[in-house]
Amino acid sequence: MKNYWIKRIASAFLVLGVVLILNFLLFRMMPGDPVSSIIDPRFSPEAKEQLRKIYGLDLSLSRQFILYAKQMITFRFGISFLTQRPIWEELSSRIPNTVALLGSALILSAIIGTLLGIKAALNRGTVIEKIVLWGGAVSFSFPSFFVQLILLMCFGYLFPIFPLRGTISIPPPTGAMAAVADYIWHMSLPVISLVLLGFGGWALYVRNLMVKVLGEDFILMAKAKGLPSHNIIWGHAFRTILPPVITIFLLALPGIVSGAVITETVFSLHGVGRFLLESVTGHDYPAAGAAFYLLALLTIMSNLIADLAYGFVDPRVRFERRGKR
Amino acid sequence: MKSWKRWSFIALFLIILTAIAGPFLFGTDPENPMAPPFSKPVWLDRDAPLTRILELTEGETTKTFKSKGDPPKQFRLKGRIRFEGTPVKATLVWRTPREEILLEDLSRYSDILIDLDGRDITFKLNIGLSAFDNAMDKLMPAEGEYSLYIESDVPVASAELTATLEGGRWGVLGTDQRGRNVLYLFVMGIRVSLIVGISATLIASMIGLSMGLLSGYAGGFTDSVIMRSVDVLLSIPILPILMALAGIWGKGLWQLVLILSLFSWMGTARTVRSLTLTLRDACFIENLRALGAGTPYILARHLLPETLPLLLANIALGVPGAILAEAGISFLGLSDPRVISWGRMLHEAHSFGAFTTGAWWLLLPPGLGIAFLCLIFLDIGKFLEEMVDPRLKGGNDK
Repeated sequence: MKNYWIKRIASAFLVLGVVLILNFLLFRMMPGDPVSSIIDPRFSPEAKEQLRKIYGLDLSLSRQFILYAKQMITFRFGISFLTQRPIWEELSSRIPNTVALLGSALILSAIIGTLLGIKAALNRGTVIEKIVLWGGAVSFSFPSFFVQLILLMCFGYLFPIFPLRGTISIPPPTGAMAAVADYIWHMSLPVISLVLLGFGGWALYVRNLMVKVLGEDFILMAKAKGLPSHNIIWGHAFRTILPPVITIFLLALPGIVSGAVITETVFSLHGVGRFLLESVTGHDYPAAGAAFYLLALLTIMSNLIADLAYGFVDPRVRFERRGKR
Repeated sequence: MKSWKRWSFIALFLIILTAIAGPFLFGTDPENPMAPPFSKPVWLDRDAPLTRILELTEGETTKTFKSKGDPPKQFRLKGRIRFEGTPVKATLVWRTPREEILLEDLSRYSDILIDLDGRDITFKLNIGLSAFDNAMDKLMPAEGEYSLYIESDVPVASAELTATLEGGRWGVLGTDQRGRNVLYLFVMGIRVSLIVGISATLIASMIGLSMGLLSGYAGGFTDSVIMRSVDVLLSIPILPILMALAGIWGKGLWQLVLILSLFSWMGTARTVRSLTLTLRDACFIENLRALGAGTPYILARHLLPETLPLLLANIALGVPGAILAEAGISFLGLSDPRVISWGRMLHEAHSFGAFTTGAWWLLLPPGLGIAFLCLIFLDIGKFLEEMVDPRLKGGNDK
């Protein structure tokens, strides 16, 4: 058990390291050096040298990387080229929005998807199974932003139930309760759209696993013992498929974080993803790097949590003999 | 063969045909504005007047048409007329069922540029209206036959005139914010999705295949390095990297293909590796080794053919991912603005206010196109998978 945890945490750090290296190299790969984008060609050589020194570009590449890694880990991202304000200041107000969006969408689609998947597996050939199969097809083939645009058009423009854009109303409402209600009102359409897009794949996966498990002998045995059906479903069948469900969650996580960028753009939410897009299109490389780093960090952390949960639910891990996949 | 009658193969064939034939069907450049911006499709809102475009091209001096229903709302005439010599008397005339209206006096010019607009006050005064009248009441007063023609005492060398009678309805799928033909854009968009989807997946599969074969067959250190990098790449959100790369490397189509394939080979590598692992210790491979066959020979001649059917299914199933990724990047505005793609169409619809004008015909065609193409490839992939592994057919799955 302890061994497994150490391994998982070490692998999280490995991923973090790769992200840092990738991030570092990515923004050094562009034509010219990072300063050339803010240096006016009319600057004197001394001024250019001065700027290069300010940005630490006179150091060796490895020194630069160590400095860079240190800054990233301590969240000192520097000054944005575009707004001339500290990047961390810009980002810190956006993180809660992104986490709220992703967290609620994930939890809701996991719950709905699991319940529907189990229902579909139990009632083969019914309406529920059709919904699950179609939901799965939609989530694998429809572009997320297209579905979101259609939803936005229907419920933001044609039937204006939800706001067209933004995270808070302008002017912001007074009073804590009103502010919370306003926030929920703004976040509900993005979350609903993500759930709509996410539950299908989830349900399809749970259904397929469930169908397989329900055909196993030990389920027949449980039925023969006369166990109540909810006990069979939740205590036996679902308990068995929990580890692979967590695995699929792990695999889906990066895609979900990627989806946040698009969702935030469609609904013009004040989030990390849209900040990344704005920085990339505005050639604001330090800001883009910081936003990418934060998104990656978010993924790594949720990955780690899911990994640890896996450790709890998979008996092979608990008993220290995890088979190689 | 029965299998080729599967709907997805037929649909894919038709789509490819449309993509190839597209530019020839329309003739013009898709970027050309054809009608006023945000014109509705003709089959929508039947009571609204049609947008009509009259073109006098090389050699023609008259254009006649019949008008029915409500008159259009605006009139515009643009172009250039050249005479063979300088005419003493020449006129550009608009004939309505009631009268003849002199639009412009062309006398004493051998080469003249025309730019008239029904809302222009000078134009209204010229055709005998006050500044506050609606020019359309005079220009199109009733149903009947209308014509636009040039009268002169010297022959016309060339006349290129475009009269736009703006009604709000035009074309099969209407127009976008720049007045471009949405149907044409839609047809042009097929190519990008197909090219990017298929080539990115092919390249990714090649990388995945070689990585998978290498790590499965070599084992040991090579295996663990490759598999660790697969794990790492699978646990990083890819879209932000793609965005950054698209922003840095430039926005060309082939850069996009390369970027996409560099970050989507992991799944194939895993599948190929696990297959290679089971084959590596199979008797026939062991026999080959005993006969003295070298590693490259075994890999190329015996392991590669074994993995091919699986790879084919993998490619088909991977295409939707690449199509969706391309569409996503284009939707975010990080693709080449000169290349027409479905994602780009959605990007422009989003950023130029398709909502505030209620222009849903800008959204549905590209979005449904992407979804349909993805469904086709998913179906083909499923079919190929069933061919490789017949156990998947029927049984548990429907």
